[in-house]
Amino acid sequence: MTTMASLKTVERLRATVEPEQGRIPMFIYTDPEVYELELERVFGRTWLFVGHESEVPEPGSFLVRDMGEESVIVGRGEDNQVRVFLNSCRHRGMRLACEDFGKVSMWRCPYHGFTYDSAGEFMGTLIAAPYERAAYPEGLDRKALHLIEARTDSHAGLIFATWSQDGPTLDQFLGNLSWYLDLLVGRAEMEVVGAPQKWVLPAGWKLPSENFCADAYHTATAHSFLARLGMVKGVDFGRDGYHVDPGGGHGLGVGVHFDEESYFPADLRDEYRAHLEPEQLGLLDRVKNLHGNVFPNLSFLIPNFIVVDGRRVSGMMLRLWQPIGPDKVQVWSWHLVERNAPEWWKRLGQKMYVQTFGMSGMFDQDDTENWEAQTRNSNTALWRQDEIMLHYAMGISGEPLTEFPGPGDVYDGKFSEAAGRTFYRTWLDLILDQRPEQ
Amino acid sequence: MIAAGAIGIETWLEVHHFLVAEAELLDNRRFEEWLELFTEDVEYTAPVRVTKKNPAPDVVAQNLLFDENLASLTLRVKRLATDVAWAEDPPSLTRRLITNIRVNPAPADDEFLVKSNVLLFRSRGDVGRHDIVCGEREDTLRRLEGALKIARRRIVFDQASLGTKNLAVFL
Repeated sequence: MTTMASLKTVERLRATVEPEQGRIPMFIYTDPEVYELELERVFGRTWLFVGHESEVPEPGSFLVRDMGEESVIVGRGEDNQVRVFLNSCRHRGMRLACEDFGKVSMWRCPYHGFTYDSAGEFMGTLIAAPYERAAYPEGLDRKALHLIEARTDSHAGLIFATWSQDGPTLDQFLGNLSWYLDLLVGRAEMEVVGAPQKWVLPAGWKLPSENFCADAYHTATAHSFLARLGMVKGVDFGRDGYHVDPGGGHGLGVGVHFDEESYFPADLRDEYRAHLEPEQLGLLDRVKNLHGNVFPNLSFLIPNFIVVDGRRVSGMMLRLWQPIGPDKVQVWSWHLVERNAPEWWKRLGQKMYVQTFGMSGMFDQDDTENWEAQTRNSNTALWRQDEIMLHYAMGISGEPLTEFPGPGDVYDGKFSEAAGRTFYRTWLDLILDQRPEQ
Repeated sequence: MIAAGAIGIETWLEVHHFLVAEAELLDNRRFEEWLELFTEDVEYTAPVRVTKKNPAPDVVAQNLLFDENLASLTLRVKRLATDVAWAEDPPSLTRRLITNIRVNPAPADDEFLVKSNVLLFRSRGDVGRHDIVCGEREDTLRRLEGALKIARRRIVFDQASLGTKNLAVFL
């Protein structure tokens, strides 16, 4: 809906958001009008992460997730296909599934018994079936009562869905990012450990998203306790490596080491080799950390390897910044591991994940502090006459490497905000409804 | 079952005093002294809670919010003592209410199985906001050289989506 207020907001955005100049106005982090536009034009149109295939292992398995603020069911049907439905009965809009996950053979609304099979087909009002003919002598139009279904696809086990029926395919949407995403989730058969952690953070959703996308520089300050406690020598874990702007609003940083041996378990090498191209495996061998964001709000991380009990380990995670208002996110944090990994890697990797990231993680704690305080300041920037412009120009004159095995614009050293500028360009084009050429 | 029945009122009082004194240490941020309450082999964990239909269990033991031993608890305490532990500097103001203490014998002669309810009030900053975190703790207390120590603690939170921004605080 375009109201007078949103028209004014659109003009303000058009006049003040200048990603290519490295200038972003502060009010966009939390403006309620901007948020309304985001729900409609970002979350209502792009591909969104809704789960990992290992979370719906067999026919009937389902998850309750969100796309924007809309509750959806991610279900594996009797035909083994994964589908995503609006979690809303076609009769009165009641939620069909009210638990986090489970296994069912059909969806039965607890209000009037309207029931749907695993492909979303309306089957009847099962419990009340004896009365259905009396209540609806003219019959019920089964086609019209089919569940509202999102377009669904997956990449390397990550399930995505979109309400856009005619936009880019998932492959087109991920673009150059796929090559790097495969290092993370496509290098072997991965599985989610248990269920995601969830908590609520008083911060706008873009702040954590852009942090994972294009902010390697904060680690030297925000996480400087590592150096204080003598656990690292300096900020090299934030600097050494590559900043990647794959396009499409996605972004990542690849931290590399200079040791001979890969930091990943030797036992998994054959599986990695079977899943990756030689150039991808070559880069994986040098990875000591990897962080990034799939536009708009799915972050990923292989935390910097550390030595635990005499072994080098890392515990990877996926992180969804689920918006629940202009200045609030529900954080979803998944821990993933190679299904065929040795026990020590699984056990120590999980411990490492919990202690560094996740709700009690020593890194995560300090990040939440920043995002909350930025959010409060952004709320006060809304009504200021003179715009508060923020600085997004790190690496603005940097030239991408001409030779690198992976695609996209790749910069030597992680200190660049190039992908952050593309994040805001992609976001702005969607908000202003300027769809880029495909 | 009446909690004090199986173990005697004196032991119950001793456990009660121990848990209340522990809460006082945490509320006053005397973390180094708090660490002395644990055995060398302590396991300190908190499973993830989920929303499920009856009668499915709502605790997911494979995924943890805390997964600590004495070394990692010590590291957390050392971190809090630096001048760059931003999440808790300035610190949260906290008050832990420990109630419903239940004490039962453990298989080992020198141990007790103790359950308690904890309500944590946490406020931080200047706008009058506060968070409340509630849960049940299952402890194994061990008597070592006359003194009680925590050999195992498992915290089961009463929210499937926690309403505080991080777990930079101990329970």
